[in-house]
Amino acid sequence: MTLLHSRDAPAAEHHRPRPPSRSAATLRDLGLGIRFAAAGGREGWIRTLLTAVGVGLGVALLLLASSVPHLLDERAAREAARSETRISDSPDTNAVKSDSSVLRINATTEYHDRTVAGYLMRADGSAPVRPPGVARFPEADEMVVSPALKELLAAPGNELLRERLPYAITGTIGDAGLRSPGELLYYAGSDTLTRASGGHRISGYGNVLDGEPLPALLVVLTVMVCVVLLVPVAIFIATAVRFGGDRRDRRLAALRLVGADIRTTRRIAAGEALFGAVLGLLIGLVFFLVGRQFVGAVEIWDVSAFPADLVPDPLLALLIVVAVPLTAVLVTLVAMRSVVIEPLGVVRRGRDRGRRLWWRLLMPLAGLAVLGFTGRVGKYEVVNPFPIAAGAVLVLVGLALLLPWLVEACVNRLRGGPVPWQLATRRLQLSSGAASRAVSGVTVAVAGAVALQMLFAAMNADFNRMTGQDPTRAQFAAYSENVTGAAATSTIEQFRATKGVDVVIGSVEAYASKPGVYAEDDIPPTTSLTIGTCETLRELARIGACEDGDTFVVHPENDKDMSHWVDQAARKGKVVEIGSGGGKPVRWTLPADSPTVTGRTDPMGTPHWGIMATTGAVDAGKLPGATITAQIRVDRSVPDVAEYVRNTAARIDPGMRFVTLDSVERDRQYASIQTGLQVGATVVLLLIAASMLVSQLEQLRERRRLLSVLVAFGTRRTTLGWSVLWQTAVPVVLGLAVAVVGGLGLGATLAWMTEKSVSDWWLFVPLAGAGAALILLVTALSLPSLWRLMRPDGLRTE
Amino acid sequence: MIPEGSLLAAHDLRKTYGSTPALDGASFSVHPGEVVAVMGPSGSGKSTLLHCLAGIITPDSGTITYAGRELSAMSDAERSALRRSDFGFVFQFGQLVPELTCVENVALPLRLDGVKRKAAERTAREWMERLEVDDLAAKRPGEVSGGQGQRVAVARALAGSPKVIFADEPTGALDSLNGERVMELLTEAARSSNVAVVLVTHEARVAAYSDRDVTVRDGRARDLEHAV
Repeated sequence: MTLLHSRDAPAAEHHRPRPPSRSAATLRDLGLGIRFAAAGGREGWIRTLLTAVGVGLGVALLLLASSVPHLLDERAAREAARSETRISDSPDTNAVKSDSSVLRINATTEYHDRTVAGYLMRADGSAPVRPPGVARFPEADEMVVSPALKELLAAPGNELLRERLPYAITGTIGDAGLRSPGELLYYAGSDTLTRASGGHRISGYGNVLDGEPLPALLVVLTVMVCVVLLVPVAIFIATAVRFGGDRRDRRLAALRLVGADIRTTRRIAAGEALFGAVLGLLIGLVFFLVGRQFVGAVEIWDVSAFPADLVPDPLLALLIVVAVPLTAVLVTLVAMRSVVIEPLGVVRRGRDRGRRLWWRLLMPLAGLAVLGFTGRVGKYEVVNPFPIAAGAVLVLVGLALLLPWLVEACVNRLRGGPVPWQLATRRLQLSSGAASRAVSGVTVAVAGAVALQMLFAAMNADFNRMTGQDPTRAQFAAYSENVTGAAATSTIEQFRATKGVDVVIGSVEAYASKPGVYAEDDIPPTTSLTIGTCETLRELARIGACEDGDTFVVHPENDKDMSHWVDQAARKGKVVEIGSGGGKPVRWTLPADSPTVTGRTDPMGTPHWGIMATTGAVDAGKLPGATITAQIRVDRSVPDVAEYVRNTAARIDPGMRFVTLDSVERDRQYASIQTGLQVGATVVLLLIAASMLVSQLEQLRERRRLLSVLVAFGTRRTTLGWSVLWQTAVPVVLGLAVAVVGGLGLGATLAWMTEKSVSDWWLFVPLAGAGAALILLVTALSLPSLWRLMRPDGLRTE
Repeated sequence: MIPEGSLLAAHDLRKTYGSTPALDGASFSVHPGEVVAVMGPSGSGKSTLLHCLAGIITPDSGTITYAGRELSAMSDAERSALRRSDFGFVFQFGQLVPELTCVENVALPLRLDGVKRKAAERTAREWMERLEVDDLAAKRPGEVSGGQGQRVAVARALAGSPKVIFADEPTGALDSLNGERVMELLTEAARSSNVAVVLVTHEARVAAYSDRDVTVRDGRARDLEHAV
């Protein structure tokens, strides 16, 4: 066909392409957004990277959190695998001696407040069973140690620990035999250990897991810890998605100029956010995988983990993969609703009226209502964790939503003040959204922490037992059934001779019975015989005059029945039989002039009665089955005094029970949850600090030129420094106020649910202080950037 | 070396950014009440010269003397104090602080110099009236036009009673009508207050408001008072 022909042909109508369907347009715009994010030049990449790194940090933390169940399972499995195979319901039952059986004694000790777990072991035959992770059974005076203990022993300044564990290191315990990489554990060989000296015979290792179910109150606590730690992470991710939003809005304005409508720009923005979030997921995975390799070297609050233990739960991981990009898109679309992007590159906030309060109040109130309807949780009830979690999440997220309204309402009322204050408040009046967003993480974290602390305090009595011990009278107690005879008396002397020891309430104890022939069902009248110096006996009974050689009959306080029982065994002027544990009893006459006195409670909280004799009255070295107890008061000003005392105990008998006296004993599970909270809170606070810092630096970067102009005027650095501080501090102070009020409300509700009363309303003070410290830290960290941006380079245009 | 009676004089200034020379032996002087236009093509070093003269940046070599004092011998704090007390600035896009109202912007140099807020704002309003923008006092920079914003910036530059105003392309972002009005107001106010103006521009139309032209080319200033 020629041109002529074509001219002759009927004029073809000029067709505009048919507009794409809505879904096709959405996909096209999302794709365009992804292209902008991926190929948007330096500016585009900076924004995408800011979002991706922010989201990545959050994702890494979520993956870490989703790995906790697997981590706990693995730890428990290893713990079970290394505990002795149980051969009966009684843990005291000894296994039958065989070629593979092993005698062992728990020789766990403590060093600088860290537990050093350990066993002394002696093989019965040629093929002794070995604990997991131990390649060769240690010979006498040898030991195999965990890598952490090996490192500790090799480190300078730990001579006292080396002295306590004087065995030659012949091997390292493998991962299979350790709870965590930071665990301090040893297995030492012995050729003197016997059943008589406290050894317990075992036939193998490995037990069935019998995890204790969590009590209802601890379920509530655990749920709250998870919520309190994870909601700020979610908020952090939502904040990270909006990093660099101003720059993106300017780019979108250019698109408006070439004909993109508002919906298109929103979808493009969503596409950009989607790309950032997906990239964030990948970066988060990389952070997680890389971080996992180093996790073994990190120990927070005495908690560490093997890299192989950190495996995310598949379902939770899937939830993260789906929820994070979805959140990114939703957050962007919601954020874009308050922005009007005009074709001439002008971006104006579309909010002429102030923020509305009513719908922001709905969420926390709904949360409180959910918690209220869940009702009270009885101590022994089965608890459904989901309504509690949902209620707490609603309250905490609701607080984050309340904050922008409060900040706006408050800063709009601020007037006057010095220049830095004026610059800060005016800036917040113009746009408080970014500042509120940056602070919302702190608000939620502090509110949650306040509520949790209140709950912890309210439950304290349930999980903290008063031991009755008196650490002012003695700080340590050592007890041994294995040191008998003459060694018993010398033990007390050795403690007395230890550096830093002030007083030793050292006694040798045995049983004293009324001699006679008794029917099989009859119980011979028996009481305890306690032998010690006058000084020691005065700590155990209300004894006035006392000389060496004296004896006493001691009645318990306010217990006539027991006093009568004591008198039946301790007959003045009559013979008693002393001894137990199979040895031949020693017959001894209780002097007729022994005065009767009242017993008292010792520093360990144990009340005493029976017969008390000074060392000159009874030869403690000749009593069969006698045990020793030493309660030790030390001079705290002597450095490492506790370690000197522990070394003495280990030298006398590595299996000696040695305790540090404390007036309160914490429940183990309760303590674990509290430690978990501390670990999580530390990580979350660091994340929030990072978020605030990025937000702060981004704002400063946006104002680079303006800062240079202010410098040109001769504005002092301190003026701008204070302005940055106020700009951060005002929203944070308001955020902390919201956090305190909200946290107290949530805490009171949770206390009501668990049928507890609030014991301390002032618990928020240190937490609010931590929040304030966070502001100072962020401001301090952003100052170098501020100084750098205050250079006149910002004025250069060419 | 320093022209007699000059308020601000520079001699043989050199400044490089990395390997790029911005000033290569530039000299310059301005007398009290004098309006001097610094002209030249883009990238010739005009703005760098202005920043050196204002003590915002320090030259690599050469001398700058202001009222008998050697600028390059001053510390950063001393130069900042000098900028607060003796210099005023007008930039191409006004560069008003967006969160402050117009009157607060104009009062800002005074407040930075320690003047109480009410007194500073009273003076600011007087200058705004003189520059015909007093009706914008309560508005924020985002709510005013480019020409109005630039007049507010001129009022801000004058409010601190400076001895020298540095204006870097003050009409660069304005249409000709607004540009002329801004120049009229700036030069009238400066001359009546005996304030020297260093005016960086590449437009001859704007330079026409000056008493004297200095051309900068390849980092060298061709000042009629200096043989370069």
